[in-house]
Order: sequence, then structure tokens, then C-alpha cells
Amino acid sequence: MEKDSINKNEKHYLTGREVREIAKQNSKKMRELEKRKMRKCKEEEFLSTMKDPSNILEIENLHTYFFTDQGVVKAVNGVSFSIPLNSTIGVVGESGCGKSITAMSVMRLIQGPSGQIVDGSIRFRANDFKKDSQGKYIPIYEKDENGNIIKETIKDKKNNDVIVDKIKRDSKGFPLYEREEKVYDIVNMPIKEMYRVRGRQIAMVFQEPMTSLNPVFTVGNQLDEVSLLHIPGATKELAKKRTIQMLEMVGIASPERIYDSFPHELSGGMRQRVMIAMALAAEPRLIIADEPTTALDVTIQAQILDLFNELKSRINGSILLITHDLGVIAEMADYVIVMYAGRVIEQGTALEIYNNPCHPYTIGLQKSKPTMDSSKDDLYNIKGNVPNPINMPNYCYFKERCDKCINRCSGDYPNMVKISETHYVACHLYEEKENE
Amino acid sequence: MFKYIIKRILISILILLGVSFLLYALLRLMPTDFVEQKILNLYQAGATTSDEFIRQMYKTYGLDGSIIEGYLRWLNSALHLDFGNSFINQRPVLSEIFDKNRMGTSFFVAAVATVFEFLIAIPLGVTAATHQYSLRDYIITIFVLIGISLPSFFFGQVLKDIFANKLGWFPVSGMKTAGITYDSAWDAFVDYARHMFIPILTVVILSIGSRMRMTRTNMLEVLNSDYIRTARAKGLSENRVIYKHAFRNTMIPLVTSLAGLIPSLFSGAMITETVFDLEGIGKYALNAMTQGDIPVIMTYNMFLATLSVMGILLSDLMYAVVDPRVKLA
Repeated sequence: MEKDSINKNEKHYLTGREVREIAKQNSKKMRELEKRKMRKCKEEEFLSTMKDPSNILEIENLHTYFFTDQGVVKAVNGVSFSIPLNSTIGVVGESGCGKSITAMSVMRLIQGPSGQIVDGSIRFRANDFKKDSQGKYIPIYEKDENGNIIKETIKDKKNNDVIVDKIKRDSKGFPLYEREEKVYDIVNMPIKEMYRVRGRQIAMVFQEPMTSLNPVFTVGNQLDEVSLLHIPGATKELAKKRTIQMLEMVGIASPERIYDSFPHELSGGMRQRVMIAMALAAEPRLIIADEPTTALDVTIQAQILDLFNELKSRINGSILLITHDLGVIAEMADYVIVMYAGRVIEQGTALEIYNNPCHPYTIGLQKSKPTMDSSKDDLYNIKGNVPNPINMPNYCYFKERCDKCINRCSGDYPNMVKISETHYVACHLYEEKENE
Repeated sequence: MFKYIIKRILISILILLGVSFLLYALLRLMPTDFVEQKILNLYQAGATTSDEFIRQMYKTYGLDGSIIEGYLRWLNSALHLDFGNSFINQRPVLSEIFDKNRMGTSFFVAAVATVFEFLIAIPLGVTAATHQYSLRDYIITIFVLIGISLPSFFFGQVLKDIFANKLGWFPVSGMKTAGITYDSAWDAFVDYARHMFIPILTVVILSIGSRMRMTRTNMLEVLNSDYIRTARAKGLSENRVIYKHAFRNTMIPLVTSLAGLIPSLFSGAMITETVFDLEGIGKYALNAMTQGDIPVIMTYNMFLATLSVMGILLSDLMYAVVDPRVKLA
């Protein structure tokens, strides 16, 4: 029986009829999901509540699939984790394990129509602007000691003096508006509603700084865009001021010059700083950094990571750090999620994962990291590859590569086993211990 | 930049010299020439000619020496800006080619057609790309492919049959209604435009295809790039993503291809003009070609060659204007 199932997995070709059959089923499903993405709905439909009020993001049972003509690729297959406020969560795993797709799902950036979030929920605690009955933002007015609103005289478009209520402004000159906390279920949001979450509430820093900036617009133009888009009452001058301030904050030496440069005139490290400045511009609550240092050399890597560490204290939010570099995780993360083949296989605090890795895959990852004191010539590697994402087996996905297999491994996919209050692992080895 | 342009112009002159020699050689190598055809006509009319007369004829038209000799003679007079007279009617070539009606007609058709081609093809290409593999994409692609595949002499006749013969909305052919006198310049223009409608329609439908395919391909490539994902991640609406971030990048190859279109504005559409009986430069050149009118063909082709070389230079310069990554040196 076991042999049969292996053969089935290794079957890489399909007949024309099978492909057409798959395509037909896919297109039906895709159309349905695409329609849901484009629908118009009231806000109540995607409002939700957090399970734990200290979290800002809760991902529960997330399924993101890609509908291809060869079959459905389950890139993210039931991922659940949560991000507490003011923390850094690290997601590790090898290429193709679904780390980036999870992050893209949170931003709803999965390229449709083939890529779709099929199931699950992503609850996000947003700090959005309050709207009045007409859908306008409510400004905060400046008041004197008696609680009366202070009036001020400004010039209108025709250059006449008008007396209006004075709006409170922050130190940078941006008018202040009333805000409120709301919990959105991102999976249920129509794409149009996502526009006010992306960039404003959740920002993303991508892996490839070399190609992530638009080559035909200046850095300033691309950064101003974020402020103009997300900060109500922003003018061009205010946006420019803010952009220059942001560039300074991410450690760019001559921000005025960089403001007028084109992306191709900057180095990779500079571009990544610009990307980070862009992510910070609207003061988001959550920054997703998708392998932010992979394309950079080691010295720049260290600088960028320091920058992230510094930012965390400034933005009063959280960072979701995706990487395959365990060293980066050790330095940055409070809490670590290990992913394998679209599932979370182990999660715990950084210390727990480092001192007591439980899943054979995590142990393998640890072992394959080069260390200064190892005298061996060859690095350890985990044998084999990630299984074919189409037709995933129904037993543990790591079974074929695992060197600690027990009889039970041929059974169902293992459930999450609790090792400690914060440490969970999906492996049959520990189920036994728990039962004993 | 200035140095670059000078360098390019000098190279262009060399290219034009080469082109002119090749052209002249090819024309002389044609299986028939102007004198031969003329004498054939004389024979058919029943006249007899002596060998001496034939030699004299070849000498008169400057076709007696070798190719090199003839070329040098042509080059010498061309450098003195003397392009000779047309063999057919003995009028100066320059005034024949740059005749207001002849060049004007072809230019009008080509210019209007190019404007409409871009106005229609670019939005079609963008929608086809943004709705890739949708019903809309397939419909646009199919119609556009039909347009590319149809030969102009056939499609022109079909349109003529529908709009002129069956529906009677537009005149069948020619450039003005016979024997008409106009009350005003506006009436004259309306009559002219009515005559030009079907030819322009033919040219537009036939040329939309490649431009639309080009827009679609470029747009798809741009839409899959990382900076578009960044633009989406910023929270820009889909329209802003497409019409600000993607469109500027899609336009780069399109704008530069515009400069390459310059020669086609002046070359005339040989077949379309023949089908609709327009007195354009294309039809005129085709006629000169079949009769072996060397001065006309040389001047016409050299004019187009100069425009092509200038067009290429211009499109390289345009690259530097629209794409900040390109620096000319």
C-alpha cells in the first residue's frame, strides 16, 4: 500500500483529458473566489473580534491554494499562529514551504485568479480613522482651558479670509484625526477595502530591493505617494518633509539628494533602506519583512537588522520576520514559527526553539547551520526534498526525509503537541511521551 | 550628449552611402529597364528602330556605362542636390515626389491612421493584459489576430463592398467627387474626409494588431514585476497601480517605437492606395518601379532611408528621455 502511494506521488505527467478536467474544476472555483474578492459589502461583514486582546494579528487555519492545470497546489495548508503587540515573530523554513505565501495572504497580495485564499481567517486589530455619518474623517480640534474650540483664520482658494475651527496638528504639521480600534477579518475583506489596510496598517518590505522600486519614478515620488495616500490632510510639502525625515531615520546620509535620485542610482542596501522608509511612512502597526536581508551582503545585513531592532521600539507595533537564516531569527525574534510544506510544524519562543528543538526537521535545520567551531568539512543536510505540493500524502509530510520514524508515522498527520506553555510541535514522537 | 548625436549622424551618412549604392545596383540589375520598355512599346506600335537609336537612348537616360559608373554619376549630381528628372514625364523628381497632393494624401492617411491606431490599440492592449485569460482578452486577441492576418488588398475590397456598394455611406474610390464645386473650404474638407474614410479604416484595422500585441506583452511583463507588487502593498488602488506605475513602464518601448514610425508616415500605402485609387506617393512609387524610373525610385527610397536612419537616432534619444536608467554617451 505504501509503495502504491509513493508511485502515485511520483507520477508527474497527466493525460490531456485529466488536465482539462482539472482546469474545468479549477475555473469554477476560481471564478467563485474571484467574485467574492470583488464584491461590495458592508463593513459589518468583515468585522470580527480577537480571541486574545493582546494580539494584533491572529491567523487561524489559513489555506492558500494555487489552482494550476496540474492540480491544486496547497501552498499554505492550515497555518495558525498569532502575533502579540510589540513583538517580533520569526517564520523559518526552507524555500517553498509557504512562508512568503502566508505573508502575502495577510496583505491579500496573492496573484489571482490562480492563487486564492480558500479557507481560514486572518484577524487584524487595526487602528483606523473614525468616520462620521458622511464617511469623512473626524478631526481633533484644539481646545482652550474652558473646553471651547479655538478658532483660526485661514485663506481659502479665492484668497479670502475665513474663520474655521483650529485642527490639532502633530509635531510634523499633519492634522490629527480621531482614531478607533477595529478588528478586521482580512480573509473576508473585499480587495477594495484592503487598500486602507495595506501600507497604512500593515506594511511590507520585500526580499528583492533591486527590483522592488519602480525604475521610472524618483525615490521621493514613490515615498511621498505613501504619505499622500494614507495620512489625511497631507499636502505635497508635508509629504516631502516627512519623506526626508523617514530617509534620515533609516540612516540615509544625504536624504535631500536621495529624494531626487532614481532607484538605479542607489546600492542594494540603500534601496532596502528606502523600502523600509516606505514601509514606515504611514506608521503601520505591523511590518512584514519578507527575507529583507537575503539579497544583501553580510555587513549590510547586520546594519539592516539593527535598523529593524531599533524600529521596533519606535513604531509601537510588531514585526513579522520571514527568513531562512536561523542566525537572523536568533538575533531578532521573540517567538519562532517553523514551517514545512505549508504547515506549522513547531512553534515556541526563540530560546525554546534554540535550546530544545523538538521536531526532527527543526533539529536538522539547526544542524545544517555552519558554526565557527565545527571541524567537519561537510555541512549536515536533510536528505531529500519537500514533497510534491500536488497530491500531498495524508501522513506526516516529513516522513520520507525523517531519520527518527516510528510506526505511528504512517498514520494520520500528527496534531500539535504541547511541550510547554508556549512550545508546540507537530510530531508523533512527542505524542507518545504526552500519553505516558 | 551633443558629441553622441554628432557621432551618430556621421555614422548615418556612411549607412546612407551604402544604402544608396545597394539601391542603385539593384535597380540596374532589374531584368528590364526603362529604355527596353520604351522600345518594346515602339515595336508594338509598329515602328522599327536602329541599333544606333537604341544606343543613343541608353546614353540619353544615363544607362550606358557600368553600374559603378552610373552610380558615381548619380552620386555626384545628388551631392549637388540635383536629383534629375523623371524618365516617364521629364519633370523634376523633387517636385514630383513632394507634390502637395501626392505626398499630402499619403501623409494624411498615414498620420490619421497612426493616431487612431495608438488610440485604439493601447487601451485594448492594457485591458487585455489586466484581464489576462478572461473572455475579454480572448475576444480582443481573436479580432486583432484576424486584423493582422488579412491581406490589405482583400480586406480593403471587403470594406469597400460593405460601406460603399452595399450601404452607400462613402464613395467607392478616388479623392473627390467628380465634377463638384465646393461652396466653402469646409465642404471641400468633408468631401475629402469622406473619400479617405475607408482607406484609413483599412489601414487602422490592419495595423492595430501588432501594436496591441506589443502593448499587451509589455503590460503583462510589467504587471508581473516586483515593483508592481510594491505599489499594491503600499495600498494604491488597482487603477493607480496600472495607470501610474505600470503604464509609465509599458510606454517606454511604445514611445520609442513611435520614432521608428516616421518613415511610414511618408512612404504611402502602396496596395491600399491602389485599391482605393488614391493619388498617393505609394501608388506613384509603385508605378515608377514597374517602369524602371531610376531617378524617382532612387530619390524616393533615399528619402525614406534618411527618415529611417533619423527615426532610429530619434528613438534612441527618446529612450534617454523616457527611461531614466538610460544614459547616452
